[in-house]
Amino acid sequence: MSAPQPTTLSDRIQQIPRHYVYLLLAGVVVWQLLFPIRLPITPSVPTRGVYDAVAAVPDDKLIIITTDWDASTQAETGPQTQAVIHACFQNHKKFVIMNLQPPMGVKLAQDLAQEAAAEYGAVYGVDYANWGYKYGYENVLMAMAKNIPNAIGDDFYGKPVGELPLMQGVEDIHAIGLVVIVTGLSAMTEMWVGLIQGPYNTPLAAAYTAVMAPIYYPYLDSDQLKGMLVGAKGAAELEAMVDRPGKAVAIMNVQSWAHVLIIALILLGNLGYLFARGRGGERQP
Amino acid sequence: MWFSRLLQRLFPPAPTPAALYLYLALAVVGSIVIIVALHRLLGPRGRRWLIAFVTFIAGLFFGLEYFYPVHGDPAKNFLTDWIEPVSVMLTVVGAFTVGLGIYSLLQVHGRNLAQRRPGWHNSLAFFLATFAMLVFGMWEHYLHLPQPPPEVVPWPKGIYEILFNGLFAPLQAATFSLLAFYIASAAYRAFRVRTGEAALMMAAAFIVMIGQVPVGAWLTSFIPADSPAAFFRLEMLGEWVLRWLNTPAQRGIIFGIAVGALAMSLRIWLSLERGTFFSEQS
Amino acid sequence: MGSLEHANWFMRILFLSLCAIIVAGVLLAQRGREMFIRRIPGLTAIEEAVGRATEMGRPIFFSPGLDSINIVTLQALAILSYIVRLAAAQATRIIVGLRSPIVYPVAEESVREAYDAVGRPENFRPDDIRFISDEQFAYALGAVGIISREEVATNFLFGAFYAEALILTENGRALGALQVAGCPEPTQIPFFIATCDYVVIGDEYYAASAYLTREPTLTGSLVGQDICKAIVIAIIALGVGLATVFAPEKNFLLTWLGGGG
Repeated sequence: MSAPQPTTLSDRIQQIPRHYVYLLLAGVVVWQLLFPIRLPITPSVPTRGVYDAVAAVPDDKLIIITTDWDASTQAETGPQTQAVIHACFQNHKKFVIMNLQPPMGVKLAQDLAQEAAAEYGAVYGVDYANWGYKYGYENVLMAMAKNIPNAIGDDFYGKPVGELPLMQGVEDIHAIGLVVIVTGLSAMTEMWVGLIQGPYNTPLAAAYTAVMAPIYYPYLDSDQLKGMLVGAKGAAELEAMVDRPGKAVAIMNVQSWAHVLIIALILLGNLGYLFARGRGGERQP
Repeated sequence: MWFSRLLQRLFPPAPTPAALYLYLALAVVGSIVIIVALHRLLGPRGRRWLIAFVTFIAGLFFGLEYFYPVHGDPAKNFLTDWIEPVSVMLTVVGAFTVGLGIYSLLQVHGRNLAQRRPGWHNSLAFFLATFAMLVFGMWEHYLHLPQPPPEVVPWPKGIYEILFNGLFAPLQAATFSLLAFYIASAAYRAFRVRTGEAALMMAAAFIVMIGQVPVGAWLTSFIPADSPAAFFRLEMLGEWVLRWLNTPAQRGIIFGIAVGALAMSLRIWLSLERGTFFSEQS
Repeated sequence: MGSLEHANWFMRILFLSLCAIIVAGVLLAQRGREMFIRRIPGLTAIEEAVGRATEMGRPIFFSPGLDSINIVTLQALAILSYIVRLAAAQATRIIVGLRSPIVYPVAEESVREAYDAVGRPENFRPDDIRFISDEQFAYALGAVGIISREEVATNFLFGAFYAEALILTENGRALGALQVAGCPEPTQIPFFIATCDYVVIGDEYYAASAYLTREPTLTGSLVGQDICKAIVIAIIALGVGLATVFAPEKNFLLTWLGGGG
């Protein structure tokens, strides 16, 4: 079922074929990738919260970075994870990677950690580790709270986690100084808040895709989250704070002008609508 | 606790690996026998009663552990020590569903292939992709490569990297990228300012969209960051909209959904849920 | 420090009171008391949407979301049963696209029973209950393929949806299908509103089974639920007042709710 053909200017403005919209957007993306207009990036308060939370972790405690994301959200969560890893290495904090869903996340995060580790001379098993993908959602968290080595079992490479040097003295959740949830999935934060942050007061920070971040501002406001990275913007801000500008900064160049284009299109559509209303008709797109 | 001691007497730890495998085999066979027997002995009403009973007991366990008074340090009640083994047991049971999922996929696509239904070539692609990923994924895992991996890797790892990093990940990312185009066309087509409320929503949306990107900060960079007027910088305005307008609304939604979920969970726990799917009201 | 690992006395009283109110609503409704439910346009539109597909002679597509068996999916399956009964009575074909292999046999059984219930078991087509893929975007593209090839007249999306939601609805809109969506999660609601004709939002979703079937048990539970919300609002108002007046360490409500110092 297709809409009637536009006849007047106001109708045409309201009914630009979607292929032209796609082409315009693609053009803006390519333009900014090839000829970026670099604008300054100022870290926001939620992003500063993440950095400060990492820096505040006691030296004898671990940071858990949960990488509950996959290739679909990699454009946002990949740079977020990378920036958090850099923040950990720069502040000399030991961290572990794990995830509860989907399994791909630990592999992608491991690649990022290895790349960063080479830069800082960090050693796997001593300065960082990868607990791997653990199936069981809440059951894993409940078990981890009481006994981490038993709950986790083997690491990403199949080695018992208890044999890793950085796991010496790590028994239960009290050995964890911060959990950074990097995710594109709903419901992960609620699990960590309900089972770990609430009962044990383990500090939490998070990094979300831009589309889901608004629903987690209540947790930031109530201090259940110490900080929050919002999409590629948050990743770019943290990259600026750790002085490692990377993919997120490039993405923000593109995103800036893509947002401008979308706003321009919305205004154009509304202009057509106003003209049509002025003529006494109303066009339904 | 007498119940713990009884269980320990009935199910002592397996003395040898062979004994453990024997126990596992007996458990599997025993479970199949019990399930088949229940299926044959119980009619539809009996099965419904059994499901309701098991649902109730499962919910009761976790609910009772949460609500029952606790004593001592660390604070616990008579059920607390069972949380971990029950959670582990549920994790194991949950892992069975992965097998169920694989079986279902093989059945559906196998039928498509065997009967040459329309689109059977997609099922063939499914089998090729699944087995390629399975074979090379497991092969790569059991290579036990040293950390960090060597410069030149064995060819199974190379193929695995091609399949994973070269095909799977980019395909997922590309499909997700379609959303950007769909959002642009949906926003252009659907957002019309027909009422005052729509105008307010549009203004808030523009402020947040522009405030979230460096262009917004640049547009109002002429306002000093430490002046009283800094609130009107677009990134500050956007942050304000998200924290002070969006947050209460989200809280309201969260509370409403939580109460709705509580009511539905209660209905399912007590087997009160009615309607065309669950059971008919007699 | 505050702990929510076990209930304190306040949580016990609060939770058990909320549960008791819901159960009381159920019992009152079962005794014949009339309960008012306001109109929910998205749910009222279901009959219209099924009728549209019947008139156009084109099938309906239903997606129960991407989650495995949980309360969101169970509610979606309850709505599916209702829609199947409507469609079966009008001899309209309905295609169900599934992502979770666990939901697949449950949905198949549910649809088969619905056809049996309206006396049309011969119209049940097992091939119309399609497990597509358990990968999110593979599922989305497979569902879009079905919607396009079958030229569905009506698209129902009830359940847990994530990033793939816009792919499904934008393609359905381009095809001219009437689209009714319902999702308790707020993240995808804006996309549904931009592309669907009717949207069921938030806890209207959990009211669906009560609204559609008007079973006393369910309507009573719904009314009990609303009373619980009023109690929660009262506690929030009390908390706001106390937080305004008292410091956190003197705020007894903060301690009772598990966040006190």
